[in-house]
Amino acid sequence: MSHAADASHAHAPTSTGIDHKKLIMWLFLASDCMFFGTLISTHLLYRKLYPTGFTDAEGHQRFVQNLFNIELTSFSTFILLMSSFLMALAVSAMHKGQVKSFRRNVLGVIFFGLIFLGCQVFEFTHFYHQGLTIQNSVLGSTFYVLTGTHGTHVAIGVLWLILLYFYSFTGKLTGHMAGLDVEIAGLYWHFVDIVWIVIFTAVYLVEYLGPSGFWGNGLPLAK
Amino acid sequence: MFSRLFRRVALLAAPLFLFLLSGCSRADLTVRQSTLDPKGPVAQMQYEVFMDTVWLVVVLFTLVGGLLVYAVIRFRARPTDDPKPIVEEGHGNPLIEIGLITASIGALVFIAIPTLSAIWYDNDVPAEAVPTSKLSAWYQRIGADGKENYAKAVEEQVLEIDVIGKQWWFRFEYPQLGLTSDAKHTVPNEFVIPKGKAVRINLRSEDVIHSFWVPKIAGKVDLMPGRKNYMWIQANETGHYYGQCAEFCGDSHAYMLFRCEVVEPEAFAAWVKAQKAPANEPAAGSKAAKGKELFAAKTCAMCHNITGHFGAGMFAPDLTHVASRKSLAGAWLDNRDPKAQGALEKQTKNTEASVAVDPATLKANLVKWIGSSGTSHGADGKPTKDVKPGNRMHYYAMFGVAGLNVSKQQFTTEELDCLAEYLLTLK
Amino acid sequence: MSHDSHHAPVADKMELAPERSDLGLFRPDRTRGLFDWLTTVDHKKLGIMYGAFAMFFFLVGGVEALAIRTQLARPDNDFITARMYNQLFTMHGTTMIFLGVMPLSAAFFNFLVPLQIGARDVAFPRLNAFSLWTFVAGALVLNGSWLFEFAHLAGWLDGFAWHQALTYTDFAPANGWFSYAPLSGTFGQANAALQAPRFTGVGTDFWIIGIQVLGVASLAASFNFICTIVNMRAKGMTMMRLPVFTWMTLVTSILIILAFPAITVALIELMFDRQFGANFFNPSAGGQPVLWQHLFWIFGHPEVYILVLPAMGIVSEILPTFTGKSLFGYPIIVFSGAVIGFLGFAVWSHHMFTTGLGPVPTAAFSLLTMAIAVPTGVKIFNWLGTIWGGRIRFTPPMVLALGFIWMFMCGGFSGVMHSSAPADAQQQDTYFIVAHFHYVLLGGVLLGLMAGLYFWFPKIFGRMPNAGVAYLASGMVILGFNLAFGPMHYLGLSGMARRTHTYHAGNGWETWNLVSTIGAFILGIGVFIAFVNLVYTAAKGQKCASDPWDGRTLEWSLPSPVPEYNFARSPVIAARDVYFEHKHGVHKLAYENDGGEAGVHMPSQSWFPLLAGFGFLIIGFGMPLMSMGVPHAGWVVIAGVGVMFLGIWLWALEGPGGYMLKTPANPLGTTAAADAATSAH
Repeated sequence: MSHAADASHAHAPTSTGIDHKKLIMWLFLASDCMFFGTLISTHLLYRKLYPTGFTDAEGHQRFVQNLFNIELTSFSTFILLMSSFLMALAVSAMHKGQVKSFRRNVLGVIFFGLIFLGCQVFEFTHFYHQGLTIQNSVLGSTFYVLTGTHGTHVAIGVLWLILLYFYSFTGKLTGHMAGLDVEIAGLYWHFVDIVWIVIFTAVYLVEYLGPSGFWGNGLPLAK
Repeated sequence: MFSRLFRRVALLAAPLFLFLLSGCSRADLTVRQSTLDPKGPVAQMQYEVFMDTVWLVVVLFTLVGGLLVYAVIRFRARPTDDPKPIVEEGHGNPLIEIGLITASIGALVFIAIPTLSAIWYDNDVPAEAVPTSKLSAWYQRIGADGKENYAKAVEEQVLEIDVIGKQWWFRFEYPQLGLTSDAKHTVPNEFVIPKGKAVRINLRSEDVIHSFWVPKIAGKVDLMPGRKNYMWIQANETGHYYGQCAEFCGDSHAYMLFRCEVVEPEAFAAWVKAQKAPANEPAAGSKAAKGKELFAAKTCAMCHNITGHFGAGMFAPDLTHVASRKSLAGAWLDNRDPKAQGALEKQTKNTEASVAVDPATLKANLVKWIGSSGTSHGADGKPTKDVKPGNRMHYYAMFGVAGLNVSKQQFTTEELDCLAEYLLTLK
Repeated sequence: MSHDSHHAPVADKMELAPERSDLGLFRPDRTRGLFDWLTTVDHKKLGIMYGAFAMFFFLVGGVEALAIRTQLARPDNDFITARMYNQLFTMHGTTMIFLGVMPLSAAFFNFLVPLQIGARDVAFPRLNAFSLWTFVAGALVLNGSWLFEFAHLAGWLDGFAWHQALTYTDFAPANGWFSYAPLSGTFGQANAALQAPRFTGVGTDFWIIGIQVLGVASLAASFNFICTIVNMRAKGMTMMRLPVFTWMTLVTSILIILAFPAITVALIELMFDRQFGANFFNPSAGGQPVLWQHLFWIFGHPEVYILVLPAMGIVSEILPTFTGKSLFGYPIIVFSGAVIGFLGFAVWSHHMFTTGLGPVPTAAFSLLTMAIAVPTGVKIFNWLGTIWGGRIRFTPPMVLALGFIWMFMCGGFSGVMHSSAPADAQQQDTYFIVAHFHYVLLGGVLLGLMAGLYFWFPKIFGRMPNAGVAYLASGMVILGFNLAFGPMHYLGLSGMARRTHTYHAGNGWETWNLVSTIGAFILGIGVFIAFVNLVYTAAKGQKCASDPWDGRTLEWSLPSPVPEYNFARSPVIAARDVYFEHKHGVHKLAYENDGGEAGVHMPSQSWFPLLAGFGFLIIGFGMPLMSMGVPHAGWVVIAGVGVMFLGIWLWALEGPGGYMLKTPANPLGTTAAADAATSAH
């Protein structure tokens, strides 16, 4: 009896029919859009202003195109996209109450997320050894802070999913609310993916457009 | 009860209003830094646009404010009111709303048009300020030849001045006239321009953001580090104009003043010539000669340039002609005869150009400025109060700077006196 | 299950059996006194605490302002040093905006929004508590900088090695509330320890982390309010029946969630510059200080509307009440509020007309700024329309609301003057601007908020402030305010620059600065009297009826003080101004069949929002300690992050909980009879 009362009050129909938790996640994502928008704008403004990469510790002028490892980044982008696919499967499984399927898929998401983070750690280390640091150029500052912030978002997502995974063993992740909780984590995960697609395009891909890089004055690509 | 309250408020407000009115007579519109007393075309244009907004606002204020006062008095609750509450929901009145929105847009167009033309006029030296030939300015700007001719005319007929802002003083350079830091001739804090000539000012900062503002000649433009800002000015009356850094720039922001002297073209040429002359040599064996030695010994010369004597330092204001300047310490200390100044302050008019430097005041200021900067001790044995808190001279004298070969410095009263005597000879 | 014991309806929460959560911890449901206030999730109590903190910081900011005015009373004055003056105006601005006006608005949001939409709480009660405590943490961090400053000035820190190693010894921020880089940032190459030379000391680090923490609080609160307003409206409470104050809360909250990310990013970038030697705003490494200005004002201009719109909402509630007439042009007032919010994002560069944007952007921002005057004017016309044909009762809130319209109109007019960029070239950074925004933010917002306090105080505490004292305080505030800020128009036009700690005699500024200082003291005393009046009333004031003003919106239908559960039965709304209609018109209030003996579901109280907020407090002090070079300060930050995560973790695991509370069967509460008795006096 008490449970029925609980359900009727805690889940009283909302004015819009959208659950509070889902709505607040959408609001957070709207705010996060502005957050990433500001960071990406900072990066692009400085790329336009200083189109020629950076100078490394030995004083060599370095171009962004031969710093980036576009194959690796494309791979990690693909991995992140696939993780979104698995996340969708996990959400769908939880809505159907298939906890085992949920666990399988969410483990996949966690695994792919960790691969993405690993790629990023590798990339950062690699770039650092190539001479791009947060101190030696504006490019270094904007690049590391932008992609690092995204990486932090992914890491928080992974942590969240790990917690959900273990929570599913307590037996409390059941019913309508469980589907919703997973769906909200999914919303976050998909958003972080979409942001990455924007970053991948605006930060990485555009560098390879045009004969000498999108921003001009870059390294001539045709050799 | 409320009508009684109203009467009391009115009784209180009336004398206050009279007081404010009488105060207005004290609101002189031609004070030193008044923006309402323009003496050049840029300030004039800004003043005119401002007055357009004033008229608009006065009309709107009278209309809306009048209606508000009327409504508040007319519709106050009275015992004779119908006791039945007004229940029907108000829906507004679309016709009134749309009418008022249209009227406000119309009112704004009234100020938008002069605003737009003034924005372009103030931005850079306009064609009409470049009197090259009989052909119209617009004609000259058409076509490749015309543009080239125009650019040449600008180069020939517009005076260029570079303004470099530092915490907390301005350095002025005249690249066309050879007054530059490369040539070791720079002008700190007091710059001179010829009357009636368009001047293009390049604004640069070597540390934080500053802002260049001589209210009677032109509104401000910021000196942004990392950006090449510029503005143009012209003064149509000779005189002594007051300027001030208008962007908060740290501890002594309030002390970052500067002066602009507008002179006849012949006087300007003479001034340029005088600036290029090397410093006077002090008489051998005099106090001033000892001061010159101290200037080197106390590492002053590491930062200050005195062309003809010391040429190493360009970090600090050039002192080659310091005794000819009407102010000291970022124009905060006035070197002119205080009595003559006092007479002028009463008028607060812009007729101070004639007041010359007073050697006694200058010397007192020099002793106060150098002595206060943590370099010497007052009667109580503690460092005297800083004229400009946070300034580099103070800091270097207190702690020294290893990288710059500047060591910690102390002055005795006698040494200060010699140093001041030396600087006094640098006319 | 642990919450079972909480589902037998109780008449008072003290009857609850102690609830042990899964973690073996007790939920603090059965608490009274201090612990109740620390753990409460009741939006009304949180609102009252927001108000109390805001009023306290208002007084702090006011004292700072009076010190500033004392220094400026005479030319060449040396009442305080240049450094102290700069710290005072920085902290005055920051305190008034982030610790005064915003939390006082939040107090009204908290207290009123659920009541006005017919809800029993906000959508996320514990998140609401978290917002409050995080705000308090940010406020303490910002003002904690003063403790270090005073300790430094008193020489108590001289013995420490880290203190002797400091190049810059400003501990309270001295960079202005706008913190323009590079004055707040770095200049030159970073050294091996990743530290680049800078112009200001650890005060700026206090400021950065303080604002960052306050941003978290504002964002969390805004998500909550949008969610509440969109999702928790009572049956029949359509968007176009929402009270205008609730509408303005919604617009303000949307502005906050879209504007704050810009300052968050700017602060992160500035922090990276200062702590890790990054180059975002470091001009000697190619950074563009103008970018800081863009990011700051993309946040900073909407912030102005974040401050103003709630006050506009309050006035839009007070005017209909005391003219006895419904709001003129409700849809247009709502729409113009939304348009102001929207356009507020398109005018930021008018703060930057003198930075050399070039003529095209300058012209565009000039015209857009003029355009924003139209919806603002529309509001004033509609308020005038509301007064027109009404029967004005000059109660204290009404006097203050009329003062708001008048002062805000004056501030708006001087705003039109510097929307014109050429005129602004002379006015930017002068006292003319100081006069303008004080007319808008003090004459406007503060009078609006004071009006709101006097208006809703009887609802909040069930006690009526003394009207005579209220008139006296209002009169002093309005008189002192005009004496203080009216002359500043003249000072600015006669060339007195802002943020200068002193000025010479002979510039013609002496008389009006003295007048201004006298006015400031009258204003300060007036505000103080008003606050004393309110605090006294809260404790010992005359008890009053639940609807003393003949109110129009739902909150007046409730007993005063409002019971914990707000509505014994959820209302069903059939019209705008529903309670006024209920009393005098055809549309009567109806009630859903919930509550009563079956009880109303109340959320459980919690320690964990407070714990998470405490984590922010530790982080907030740890970061500046790191900048100071205090040994092991990094561990303080890590501990702070740990405490914050622990708070959030336990909060997530304990679940919302909840218990059932019996309510009176009579939907209007049991106090209807008592009300009748009180109003008979």
